[in-house]
Amino acid sequence: MSRLALSLRINGVTHDVLTEPHRTLLDVLRDDLGLTGTKENCLEAECGVCTILLDGRAVNSCILLAAQCQGREIVTIEGLARAGVFVPLQQAFVDHGAVQCGYCIPGMILAAQAYLDECPEPTDDGIREALAGNLCRCTGYQKITDAVTAAARGLARARTTQ
Amino acid sequence: MSIETRVVGKSLPRLDAAGKVTGTAVYAADFALPGMLHGKILRSREPHARLVRIDAGRALALPGVRAVITATDVLDVRYGGGLKDETVFARDRVRYVGQPVAAVAATTREAAEAALAAIDVVYEPLPAVLDLEAALAPGAPLIHEAWQTYTAIPILHREGNVCQRARIVVGDMERGFAEADRVFEHEFRTAMVHQGYTEPRAAVAAWDSAGQVTVWSNTQLPFEIQNTLAEILALPPSKIRVIVPGIGGGFGGKLRVGVEHFAALLARRTGRPVKVVTTSEEELTAAYPRQGTRVELKTGVTRDGRITAKEGRIWFDTGAFAGSGPGVASVATLVLAGPYRIPNLLLEGYAVYTNKTNCGSFRAPSGPQSNFAVESQMDMIADALGLDPLDFRLKNIVREGDEGPTGQVLEAVGLEECLRRAADAIGWRDRRPAPGRGKGLACGWWTTTGGSSGVYVKINPDGSVAMNTGAAEIGTAALTGAAQVLAEELGVDLADISVVSADTFATPFDFGAQGSRTAFAVGNACRAAVADLRRQLFGLAAAQLGVDAEALTLRDKAVVADGKRIALAELARLSQASGGGLIAHGTFIAPPTPYDAKRVEAHVYPAFHSPSFHAHAVDLSVDRETGEVTVHRYVVAQDVGFAMNPRYIEGQIEGGVAQGLGQALSEEIVYENGRVLNPNLTDYKMPTSLDLPRVESILVEHPSLVGPYGAKGVGEPPNIEPPAAVANAVAAATGVRITTLPITAEKIALALRGEGPA
Amino acid sequence: MSFEYHEPTSIADAVALGARFGEAGRFLAGGTDLIIQMRRGRVAPRHVLSLHRVTGLDRIEVDGAVRLGALVTHRAIEQCPHFQGPLGALVEGAEVIGGHQIRNVATVGGNIVNASPAADVVPVLLALNATVTCLGPDGERTLPLGGFLSGPGQTARRPGELLTSIRFDRLPPRSATAFLKAGRRKAMEIAVVCVAVRLTLDAARERCQEARIALGAVAPTTMRAGAAERALEGQPLTDEILRRAGRLAAGECAPIDDVRASARYRRLLVETLVPRALRRCLDRIGRAA
Repeated sequence: MSRLALSLRINGVTHDVLTEPHRTLLDVLRDDLGLTGTKENCLEAECGVCTILLDGRAVNSCILLAAQCQGREIVTIEGLARAGVFVPLQQAFVDHGAVQCGYCIPGMILAAQAYLDECPEPTDDGIREALAGNLCRCTGYQKITDAVTAAARGLARARTTQ
Repeated sequence: MSIETRVVGKSLPRLDAAGKVTGTAVYAADFALPGMLHGKILRSREPHARLVRIDAGRALALPGVRAVITATDVLDVRYGGGLKDETVFARDRVRYVGQPVAAVAATTREAAEAALAAIDVVYEPLPAVLDLEAALAPGAPLIHEAWQTYTAIPILHREGNVCQRARIVVGDMERGFAEADRVFEHEFRTAMVHQGYTEPRAAVAAWDSAGQVTVWSNTQLPFEIQNTLAEILALPPSKIRVIVPGIGGGFGGKLRVGVEHFAALLARRTGRPVKVVTTSEEELTAAYPRQGTRVELKTGVTRDGRITAKEGRIWFDTGAFAGSGPGVASVATLVLAGPYRIPNLLLEGYAVYTNKTNCGSFRAPSGPQSNFAVESQMDMIADALGLDPLDFRLKNIVREGDEGPTGQVLEAVGLEECLRRAADAIGWRDRRPAPGRGKGLACGWWTTTGGSSGVYVKINPDGSVAMNTGAAEIGTAALTGAAQVLAEELGVDLADISVVSADTFATPFDFGAQGSRTAFAVGNACRAAVADLRRQLFGLAAAQLGVDAEALTLRDKAVVADGKRIALAELARLSQASGGGLIAHGTFIAPPTPYDAKRVEAHVYPAFHSPSFHAHAVDLSVDRETGEVTVHRYVVAQDVGFAMNPRYIEGQIEGGVAQGLGQALSEEIVYENGRVLNPNLTDYKMPTSLDLPRVESILVEHPSLVGPYGAKGVGEPPNIEPPAAVANAVAAATGVRITTLPITAEKIALALRGEGPA
Repeated sequence: MSFEYHEPTSIADAVALGARFGEAGRFLAGGTDLIIQMRRGRVAPRHVLSLHRVTGLDRIEVDGAVRLGALVTHRAIEQCPHFQGPLGALVEGAEVIGGHQIRNVATVGGNIVNASPAADVVPVLLALNATVTCLGPDGERTLPLGGFLSGPGQTARRPGELLTSIRFDRLPPRSATAFLKAGRRKAMEIAVVCVAVRLTLDAARERCQEARIALGAVAPTTMRAGAAERALEGQPLTDEILRRAGRLAAGECAPIDDVRASARYRRLLVETLVPRALRRCLDRIGRAA
């Protein structure tokens, strides 16, 4: 089987990988690079646990070929906190009890991050719409929505005090 | 009751949050070992057939394939819970589409999948039993011809395709119905639904040279898996170590062996670690979903709304193997009684074999199905009698000191408060605020499952505390709740506690993360451990401080008395220097709940322990043309006894309602001719963020006598009432009564047009 | 899944590769359908031609007409200011496809070529009388969208041909569009039924000058409800006329029973949603006046 030499920019670090064309970014992240913070479930872009940011947009890494990602900027959940300091969404998820089993949470946080980057003053409905592609079976989405709202407010305060 | 507490009862963040928001928490599906192979399962494509031949020759010749195993490669063992009818692989006969026929290990998942496709299987189809009616029909083909030879707990009542019939009999049915002014008979049906955990079932197994196998799995019950693997592998349990890394949701679906045995068998065959992870298709065709049911209720009522008698039967379509069926059928009878005073009862729960997947346990097993029927009928009766459904319930509910259906004496009954507060919050007296809009109520009761729990609690020389428990943290924050109890009692902060959990070699026994019991039972085990630690600490401290041990107390991470103080850290160091360190083994077993044995037959769960009571209220709109339902508000008033961590209890309520609304409105595993038509998440419809309302949680606290600080089990109950509450609200909004789950827009729209289902 | 991967960087390269591999090749856009079908084993191309480096196919051009590059994503349609007014059905169709993750990558060209009878944006484009342009070894050709769709998963696209753009005229004054979708959930749904409507009133704003009604998930392809359209044109749009159009549309569609809904319910939805979408158009025209 032919293999492709790929150079992938993930969380600001370049990773050189040799992989078959059919392998998805999800496969490479989890199996080759040990970045298991990106989760795996339905493999059909229905559940959202594999969400990552590709050039700043939320996408399902389960249907994205690794080969398609060359030269693009990839952010996974491992790329958010710096030196152990949470980004505001992470802190808000902890503070608001938005985490239960946690398996959907990395994808949820990244989908929320992409949304807040685009829409810094979200409504409850807007948040729910933005997270509709991320299934959560534990929380009923309520505390997740609250956490995203709180993170947005915190970010807004940080902007005005700057 | 008001208790002054520092830690327990506070909405503190869970202990495992950091790993979960940063992606560093390792779940079973993430777990990997060097040299690991990937296992895949070949599953039956026929609902019922003779297995004529399996030829793995082509598969074994494929690149990367290391092993193919079938029934001939494993011991002929039947395993299971109360009824041992299940086998690792189909041997001569397949009994459902999805039943394991062979397993493959290969170097990659793709190679394993290619091998599955290259295994040649010849089936000779047999007549299939596709539903309850067919299974119960006179002369129906037997799913298990040798059912009488299977090992079962003796209490079960079995006959042919019925693998359990539990019964409650109270009073005199004839007299009860004679006293009634009206007798109402209704039938209900519910669909099979899946737990929908976001992490598939996953296991990695590795054998060592001493013949010991270690299995990392996302099971809720590591000790149960240890014992089941011991049966399947014919090894003493001491040779089997089960470790639970993180679990991405379980909801009862990860109680039973699912992939662990395949991983262990393939690993033994290949001499390499093997990982097995289910696909969505396997989850929806061959997991342990909630049983579909049929329910018949006959209820006698006086003109003024007093229930005189109830006769009820529920049939669980448990699939080709018993799974949780016998237990679930038993529990159902208590739910069918409802939280009502009814002097005359005849209630039966049946678990019935069919050629479908083996059903299991799903959050409050039997609860939603039984409660949907009971609470729908309560509204139907109230309507027929011209009574307000709330008043009708208040007239019949159980109260403090009443007897439950099997004679248990009910204590800490917060039901009236729950009903009144839920009704008030939803604005009950304005039940039909606009055309197409309506409100519904439902109430119920549930158990706090018993079973024993042990913890080791160790005080570290830095004063921090290690809590070592056999229970797994499945997401509920139950172990954070237990740690709050521990911190409270030891006089330390929650942040001082670290948790080691769910390792059958390293942690003490625990009955497992099931049945709303974890925080309750582990919390109590922690209290027992602290009682022991207190003796150890006070003994050491008394000598050091020169005071009487009687005068000592624990406060601010120290032992204190009369202005004197010695830190826990120092005592731990002293103990290490002299006595092997500070450690205690705390244990707990819920005391048995007395009941009247004469009232039950063939019953495996005759009483609810430390029962909880709850009421749900919903306000929704129905589009009268399309039938589409929009839920505006949802209120839950739940008697939690004592709220150990209010925020995470709200989380349990919000999540339980979410799953309940899924079962109420959109979810079903659809079978046609023995095959699942929707084995993917495109067509298995779990609610998204846009489908769910905000849920308002009202925590009612009537403290139980047994739970820590009066707590009751909280995890399962919120899942019970949503289908009934929704059905009642839809009826209020439209005048149309839907008696089958899910209550789809299609059913409502066709009913509004006077048309039945197509 | 086993294939060779190619990354053309221009339309010409893509078409050349498409021509070279013919039936053995598949163009990959957002991958929201192709990758899933490949994983399910329904298609097994030997060559996958990813289009993400091809420039010039992701533009929305609006002058006298509207031209959508085939690689325009659903998210781009949602956010396009030109589609906030009378062409709003495009937004309504685009914003109910999957979640943000899907819409960030799924393309309008992919949606058309995939030819699902339940596609959401396709009925809107059909109601807009859109044409599609394909480029292949034999040059460029433009077809009406209705003629391009030939069955479930089937189109008039020839092997190796690349769908490059979609074109439709801007709407005359006194026009509006609307899109409605029914599914079991409020998001992440494949339509049980979807309805797109375009309506233009006469100069007096009293009668229907032109009506286009397109239906999804009720026939082997997205379909036009011609009888319903004819029943509206030249008529005053009373409630009774709108309802009659709904009944006619329900009569002329050809739904099936499947796991998502019965044919009976699908007809009922068509009967309900067609007049609703028409009423929505009337409201929009009224508001714009």
